[in-house]
Amino acid sequence: MRKINLYLIEFAINSLFRQKWKNIFIVIVFTLLIVILSSIFQIASSIRYELNLSLNSLPDIFIQKIKAGKLYDIEVDRVDKILEIEGVESAKPRVWGYYYFENAGVNFSVIGIDQYQNQYKDTLKSLVSKLDFEELEKNSSMVVGIGVKKILEESYYNRYFNFIRPDGTIKRVYIAGVFDSNISLEANDMMVMSQETFRDIFQIDGSLATDIVVGVPNKSEIPTVATKIKLLYPDTRVLTKEDLKISYQNIFDYKQGIFLTLFVISIFTFFIIVYDKLSGLNSQEKREIGILRAVGWSMEDILKERFYEALIISIISFLVGYIISLYYVYILKAPLLRDIFEGYSKLRTDFNLMFHFDTQIAIMLFLLTVPIYIGANIIPAWIASSIDIDEVIK
Amino acid sequence: MINFKDVSKVYRSGNREIKALETINFQIKKGEIVLLKGVSGSGKSTILSLIAGVTKPTSGDIVVNGKRVSKLQDRFSSKFRQETIGFIFQKFNLIPNISTFDNIVVPIIPLNLDSREIEKRVKKLLKEFNLEHRRDILVKNLSGGEQQRVAICRALINTPEIIIADEPTANLDRKLSLGFIEILKSLKDKTVIIATHDPIFFNLDIINRVIEIENGKVKKDKKTPNRNK
Repeated sequence: MRKINLYLIEFAINSLFRQKWKNIFIVIVFTLLIVILSSIFQIASSIRYELNLSLNSLPDIFIQKIKAGKLYDIEVDRVDKILEIEGVESAKPRVWGYYYFENAGVNFSVIGIDQYQNQYKDTLKSLVSKLDFEELEKNSSMVVGIGVKKILEESYYNRYFNFIRPDGTIKRVYIAGVFDSNISLEANDMMVMSQETFRDIFQIDGSLATDIVVGVPNKSEIPTVATKIKLLYPDTRVLTKEDLKISYQNIFDYKQGIFLTLFVISIFTFFIIVYDKLSGLNSQEKREIGILRAVGWSMEDILKERFYEALIISIISFLVGYIISLYYVYILKAPLLRDIFEGYSKLRTDFNLMFHFDTQIAIMLFLLTVPIYIGANIIPAWIASSIDIDEVIK
Repeated sequence: MINFKDVSKVYRSGNREIKALETINFQIKKGEIVLLKGVSGSGKSTILSLIAGVTKPTSGDIVVNGKRVSKLQDRFSSKFRQETIGFIFQKFNLIPNISTFDNIVVPIIPLNLDSREIEKRVKKLLKEFNLEHRRDILVKNLSGGEQQRVAICRALINTPEIIIADEPTANLDRKLSLGFIEILKSLKDKTVIIATHDPIFFNLDIINRVIEIENGKVKKDKKTPNRNK
């Protein structure tokens, strides 16, 4: 096996140092581009990953009652007829809504859960350690998101919170726990309590629910079941998990559009560098190639040397850029860029993006930048080394 | 050693044709020191480029050391230059922002030689040309004479059989030019071809032969009897 020509690599490094400032500038621009592109992709990928995880745990079908285009509470006894539809495994009424906390000017998402609803019980158990469901039911207590906890503490509600019922009376609910921070994106503004407590606060009759969720084990039957429910209760809106996925995806895509703009700008800048490289070598570079050719370097040697130069610049920029972007996204929590996804609500999410190393993104970014840069360096050198050496060295 | 047979070279610039050489014939034997004499534009440098395989003749045949350089493909002519030719250019053509050492090793970098071998060769040349103390200095910071010695070291690093020098004293004062001639005297057993119109070379006793070029043709080809090497 031929050993690597270290002298050629050393010559390439020296050659880079000969045009130190120009190359430092290229490394800085290249690194910045990688940081921007990689951060965009990593934030998007991490959020998509987190959303998919959340969406996958959602019920298969949601049923809401609609009148004059507005949502109304739905009768709980509709569950019995829905359960009779073939393919339906479960149908459960849910209670949830929003509570406006005037002191802070924010809305909390309030969810009432039934301890017999395994779907929620299991999910919650995985989210809140040492959660006692029976205690939650008995003592009018709740589990809250980190954002809620912070807002409540600002108003000196450390152990409990006083809800104001629609009739103006007060309902005190104790804080039994706080959601883990790694699910904070969705659970940040949540208050989870028993259905009893929820109904008590919002004064909702036991015969009514906010919506009904339906479980269908055979995923291919979901659209058919949804249609049957709609036919059974024409005054309802029937949403499938897929519908929700699409609407989430739409919001996500809109935000990704802003990132796409940044992406296009970054790529555009990169191609300006590439164009500059492709547009040819300066007279000093041409002369140097001429000298090397005259003293016995073959075209292949020159292209190899150029390859090493471009490889050194692009690999250093890529690795540094990629590492900075990991630090920026997962350690610094992506300042500036995160605002695009987060919005500016008062209940700011404690943005802990889940670390999700996407090999495809790394490979795509690598292929999008490194080989193009190397090519942009080699092509003009190839053109220069194929011209008459005589002309160059004179 | 070097055989030019009916060699012509025409440069094309757009629609214009410039005849640089017209049916040139000569032979140079091994170990000869040959002076190519002639005014600027007479075709001297073109002959050197053709010997080195840097450029190809429009017609005719050139054989150097048994190799038909006029027909060699690019990578073979590069290899040929690497193994056979040492080039000394008019403006030295050194790489200004690298050290003396790095400039000298440039021709042998592609050979991927053992580092001890490279070190040995460079050390020998630096000593021979009194450049040991300038080894790590950037070439741009050297004097004209030192730069020329570096250029000569670079031409010798690949232990070539043929040294080609194109107007080697054009950028040197008289003292430095005499220094170059002293170096020439020390180049034993090498075939040296110098293209120049500097009169300092004309009556040198180390020159075996003077070929006078005029308008791309050999005007005179005269052997000089005294060789004092």
